[in-house]
Amino acid sequence: MGLPVSDVLRVIDFGRVTPLRSQTLWHAVAYGVSGGEPATLSFARPSAPYVCLGYLRDAAEVDHEYCASHGLPVYRRMVGGGPVYLDDRQLFFQICIPAGDVSPSRRDALRSLLEPAVSAFRVLGVDARLDDNGEICRDDAKICGHGAGQIEDAVVVCGNLIEAFDHQRAARVLALTDPVQRAETLRLMRRYVASTPVDPGAFRAALIDSFSGALGLRAESGVLSPAELKSVHKLDRRFVTAEWLAGPDRTAPTVSTGRQVKVRAGIWTFAVQASSGASVVASVVRERLDRVVLTAPGMNSQAEAAACALAGMPVSAAADVLSRFGESGTELAAALARAEGRLP
Amino acid sequence: MTSTGPASSAAMRDVHGFALALDRSYQPATHMWVKLTAPGRVRIGIDPLGVETSGTLAQLSLPAAGTNLTAGRPFGEMEAVKFVGPLSSPVSGTVRAVNSAAADNPGLVERDPFGDGWLIEAELADPADLDALIADPEEITTWYAAKIAEYRLSGAIAE
Repeated sequence: MGLPVSDVLRVIDFGRVTPLRSQTLWHAVAYGVSGGEPATLSFARPSAPYVCLGYLRDAAEVDHEYCASHGLPVYRRMVGGGPVYLDDRQLFFQICIPAGDVSPSRRDALRSLLEPAVSAFRVLGVDARLDDNGEICRDDAKICGHGAGQIEDAVVVCGNLIEAFDHQRAARVLALTDPVQRAETLRLMRRYVASTPVDPGAFRAALIDSFSGALGLRAESGVLSPAELKSVHKLDRRFVTAEWLAGPDRTAPTVSTGRQVKVRAGIWTFAVQASSGASVVASVVRERLDRVVLTAPGMNSQAEAAACALAGMPVSAAADVLSRFGESGTELAAALARAEGRLP
Repeated sequence: MTSTGPASSAAMRDVHGFALALDRSYQPATHMWVKLTAPGRVRIGIDPLGVETSGTLAQLSLPAAGTNLTAGRPFGEMEAVKFVGPLSSPVSGTVRAVNSAAADNPGLVERDPFGDGWLIEAELADPADLDALIADPEEITTWYAAKIAEYRLSGAIAE
């Protein structure tokens, strides 16, 4: 006999919690929902800033020295997305439902669980929309960071209301050795990541209405079950271990992959150095090279001219220009192409 | 001798716009395929419908050689559209090889899911695990066509 089907959307507002708990509480909810607790919409606000890394991302993407010296803990979450800077000016929400209740298409499942959040923004007069890449945005800018995943038999989608965003710090916590790439990353973040200074209480209420309506469930205030509370303590211990932060075993890349930072879907920066010492730092906006800095030892004037020629060009056409620089150029072009192919 | 390479063109079929290799077995619930490459040894991958309904693959996490597999349990994870989900093993056994090229570049799985985009090779713990999969070409084709229709109807894949 299966578990009883619940018509309830459990709503839990954890309020202001430590950075660690702002992650472990909702992970515990996911295990609870997987074990038969009802679908749950939860909220939390971290009491202090920290950095959070997507489940499959390389911990080396974060500047751990900077984070440690500025008192920023770093945690790994069990959902997707890149390393992000989070603080108390962000209200987190998580919708968690049994995996069997969502479309087998992950893309579809994600869209269906983000659309209620879009509706909540719109109720508050924010002209939000879900773009073709499945990101919640207003005009060109992303206004909600999200990540999703399946944790045992539950699907969870996390998002946030960004009341204010510290772009400078969000760029600074990333491990970037090239100062040009860091500056470009910050420039693109300022342009393409925006805050939404609406009343968080009103947003929370709109989100509850929106999700309960979309899922056909009755919203009911709830608390964690004893088993979920036990999970929280277990997760508290797990999330602070070096082993957890290191993440799942990864195979070392067999080719030079360069350093890529995604600001939002279709917007990224990239830096790579060829074995000859030639290097390229590029900003990409919707498949086109926005700005390019090219260095080629002994060929500086040609490199400058080539960088000018590359600006505005589709990434896919860069190989033609870079091939003027012989093997180094081919190596740089290949790294750029791999970077483009790897991104969603 | 059993082929270890991609499906020959004779073994390939186009089903309503989606490629389907008929020289292997499938686990319908997960869209994982299993191809016998030698007695007791299989190659495992994900079919084009599984790839298409996931969205653009961004990250793949695969187990190291020597890892034990349990049928129905995750052996790795994949991330697409910021969604991290399990890769479920269709068989029990031991991982003997991992496609590091696919782990480096998940785009390979999208471009060639039946060939260069394979995921792992494993030694079967119990060859009878294969009996739980569908292997008959007609049955595979019928299942695949039905899934395509279902996904199109729900909007999970484009018309």
